[in-house]
Amino acid sequence: MATATQPQPPELLAERPQPIAPPSRRSRRRLWPLLGLTLGAVVFLFPFYYMVIGALQSEPNSDLSGAFPNPANLTLDNLRDINRAIDLPRTLLNSGIFTGGALLTTLVLGLLAGYALARLEFRGRGVVFNAMLLILIVPFQLLMIPLYVMIVRGYGLADSYLGMILPYAVNATAVFIFRQFFLQLPKELFESARLDGASELKILTRIAIPLAKPAILTAIIVTFIGPWNEFLWPFLVTKRLDLQPLAVALANFISTVAARQANPFGAILAGAVVLAVPAVVLFLAFQRHFVASNLGSGIKG
Amino acid sequence: MTAIATPATRRSLGRRLFGRQPLGYLFVAPYVVFLAAIFAYPLGFAAYISFHDYFFAAPGAIVERPFVGLQNYTDALADPVFRRAMLNVVIFLIINVPLTVAVGLVLATALNAAIPFRTFFRASYFVPYVTASVAVIGVWLWLFNSDGLVNNLLGPLAPDPSWLVNSLWAMPIIALFATWKQLGLYILLYLAALQNIPEELYEAAEVDGAGPVRRFRAITVPGVRPTTTLVVIAATITGANFFTEPYLLTGRGGPNGASVSPVLLMYTQGIEQGHAGYAAAIGVLLAIMVMAVSLVNRYLLERS
Amino acid sequence: MTNWRRRLHLAAALTLSLALAACGGGGGSSSTSEANTTRGPIKIWYSNNAEEVKWGESVVAAWNKDHANEQVTAEQIPAGKSSEEVIGASITAGNTPCLVFNTAPAAVPQFQKQGGLVALDSFGDGASYIQGRTGPRADQYKSPDGKFYQMPWKTNPVMIFYNKDVFAKAGLDTKNPPLKTYDEFLATAKTLVAKGGVKAAIWPAPSSEFFQPWFDFYPLFIAQTGKQLVENGEPQFAGPEGVAVAEFWKQLYDQGLAQRELYNGDAFGDKKAAMAIVGPWAIAVYGEKVKWGVVPIPTKDGKDPSQIQTFSDEKSSAMYSSCQNRATAWDFLKFATSEENDGSLLEMTGQMPMRTDVPTAFPAYLKSHPEYTLFAEQAARTVEVPNVPNSVEIWQTFRTAYSQAVIFGKADVQSAFNQAAEKVKTLAARS
Repeated sequence: MATATQPQPPELLAERPQPIAPPSRRSRRRLWPLLGLTLGAVVFLFPFYYMVIGALQSEPNSDLSGAFPNPANLTLDNLRDINRAIDLPRTLLNSGIFTGGALLTTLVLGLLAGYALARLEFRGRGVVFNAMLLILIVPFQLLMIPLYVMIVRGYGLADSYLGMILPYAVNATAVFIFRQFFLQLPKELFESARLDGASELKILTRIAIPLAKPAILTAIIVTFIGPWNEFLWPFLVTKRLDLQPLAVALANFISTVAARQANPFGAILAGAVVLAVPAVVLFLAFQRHFVASNLGSGIKG
Repeated sequence: MTAIATPATRRSLGRRLFGRQPLGYLFVAPYVVFLAAIFAYPLGFAAYISFHDYFFAAPGAIVERPFVGLQNYTDALADPVFRRAMLNVVIFLIINVPLTVAVGLVLATALNAAIPFRTFFRASYFVPYVTASVAVIGVWLWLFNSDGLVNNLLGPLAPDPSWLVNSLWAMPIIALFATWKQLGLYILLYLAALQNIPEELYEAAEVDGAGPVRRFRAITVPGVRPTTTLVVIAATITGANFFTEPYLLTGRGGPNGASVSPVLLMYTQGIEQGHAGYAAAIGVLLAIMVMAVSLVNRYLLERS
Repeated sequence: MTNWRRRLHLAAALTLSLALAACGGGGGSSSTSEANTTRGPIKIWYSNNAEEVKWGESVVAAWNKDHANEQVTAEQIPAGKSSEEVIGASITAGNTPCLVFNTAPAAVPQFQKQGGLVALDSFGDGASYIQGRTGPRADQYKSPDGKFYQMPWKTNPVMIFYNKDVFAKAGLDTKNPPLKTYDEFLATAKTLVAKGGVKAAIWPAPSSEFFQPWFDFYPLFIAQTGKQLVENGEPQFAGPEGVAVAEFWKQLYDQGLAQRELYNGDAFGDKKAAMAIVGPWAIAVYGEKVKWGVVPIPTKDGKDPSQIQTFSDEKSSAMYSSCQNRATAWDFLKFATSEENDGSLLEMTGQMPMRTDVPTAFPAYLKSHPEYTLFAEQAARTVEVPNVPNSVEIWQTFRTAYSQAVIFGKADVQSAFNQAAEKVKTLAARS
């Protein structure tokens, strides 16, 4: 559990002598971790790099030398080919609607639920938490067909965005993330506010949510990945080509028996790169906010 | 925590019946409705069919689906393929979970520091997580091919038969792949959690002469305990349900079933061969195992 | 929270779900034979293969022009691994279209068991039309109850494609390559790998999907014996000929002439393999990329090519029980398989319609596309997967045994096949 010591008043901080390490030791201490990080980054990035290279090559080269391509072999044709085969803008839009819908409901309903599970005491709290865990535990393959029958027959939602979104509406992992995050905030924060007479709603909106920024950003990214990359469910629910998200269109493209492009592998990789880019961009945009904030300021005042 | 003695009569009946903050019901209600409307039926249905010789049929079709009690369960437990699949889950979890927690936290701590090119590094570790499995697996197939990059680098040390067709190495490679692919998410979770550890704690410890390792062990690790619980449970659950890797990477659980997973079995039995009841029994058994493991983990971790 | 309290909560959640489940389900649509005479708009599915889409659209457009009250709407589904899942799930939900072109014959027993298919015999001219169009081969597509739950539509009879450049490099005859008998084939394979600059002589997928035998073991088995995997409830593969085919493949694997690893991509197209077992669809795919030649499947002692049969890799069209306007559906099915539309299928996609008379009915096409002639002749001699209960599980059982004994050499072929045959026999007998 997070330990919350009383923050030192500014005067005391100023008096404390700051130890300064000699320059050589400081830079040497930084060198090894940096080297390790770089090595790790290479390992992690390499397959993606290879994907991008593959997407840009006009002739597939599956030998070792393919990792360092001949500049003459590079082309944007694969992108053009995949766009011809799959309507990229339309499918991207569908992916956006599908994922956006899930994001919206998760952020609103999931945050409320996560907060309640962590910081509001009510009987039956444990049951809800365990039900959430159960949903997380059960693999989708087990639920797939009854879920499909229920949504298509019972609710009549075939060929619709709502039918696609429903199982993803409140991402259980996001709820879990919110709950654990709110658990990590010091209990005193809430108790003192309650003692001061603040209503639960005010505590939620004035204290909990502003502090929850890292959790919200994390939940956004986590909730984004699922629907964005999901193939089987949206495909089951909708056969109309103008409703299908990019992941589905790409998977369909991969499975066509006669892949007629000059470089089918390249076209597939081009599609995969297009699929991955928005998620990376989202992450880049959000991670800027993951800079150490001073929690002490939350307790003061 | 201040202790104010509250006479028992002060607490209303409502409070005693529903808890201290019954507003929680309101907050959690939409989520509960969602769970009931979407998942209750399929979940209950799955449990129901696991006790029958069940297969999915067209509406209105008259078919026999007799009640068979626990037979699906006993069949599963007696099936050597299923037992191997469960063993593979254990192997997977033993490799994946500790690696994920350790490497995830260490990397997150490193990426939280003020290092040059921090954004680039953070992005690099995150990228595998968002890339579609289909594309990434192609690259791994190429890397671990019998004359792929890894074997070329290892030279005479390369195992023969090569990694993915080697009964001993197929599962560990899968576990490694999954760890690598998922790590971005857990680094993200830890990064978020690290934002909540007050900077002063580190500064105070540094002044007191604690080195970086000591600071890590004494401040960071306890400070992210709830997130560690989340990471362990999430990694356990995702890990036990691994499906894409044997499906795509080792040609349906090869070589010879050395890397089958329970979910792959559920897919081939339930969806391809139409034995929905048997697949449901496998699913229930798997869920029980995961619950048991998660319980143990949670107990160990939240005992503070 | 203590152990038992947690379990109590979970039990409560589960009981609640079970209660809800017990109320759910049920509610069927009537599938009476009166539907056989109803007319109206229908929906169909065909594969998303680019050429087939073109063909499908043209046929649908032609029909819709003349049938204002019986419009056909068409949707695409992938013809690949997931099409059976999609159809199976749709059957359960009751929202299958009237017709699905590209129904795999191996899936028909299961769809039939689910109550998802309409017996085409229930139409007056059902059986006669099918048998008239496809001839005696049509009997392979009957279900155990003697009825047609599928109409055989198109076939891609598999033969051996070989890369002429690689053969030339290895110093082998490119016009009449030595690929007729097992011994010849093995020797050629060795030369190819040694001197032809390829990693494998032939590279069928070594993975364990239930349908993989259709592209390695089964074509050779059919070429040698002309039999199905199971006939009259008896497994045929554990006999001396089946074992001989398996031992042939085993040699290829043991000598490194076929690879035990998956190739990510197309090994033949990427010139990593010198040969491939493919159907006429390959002509369009490899047309420019590879200088190819085609020969029949090898047999043990080199049979006369006009006697060699092969695997059909056929796709059927089926009518599904959720169809309301079955008269329209049946008429459309006959329209789509008329000689004219079969001809345009051949022209647009290069795939052979399941007609008795392909070489004679479409002479103009074959004259202008001589490369299809061999396939067209072979198309008259195809053998199908057996239409037996539990067919998918049977194929999976076979594949597991084959993978163990032949691909990875971990078991003796005869005993592995014997064990598999016992299990297959039980499965085929179960209903």
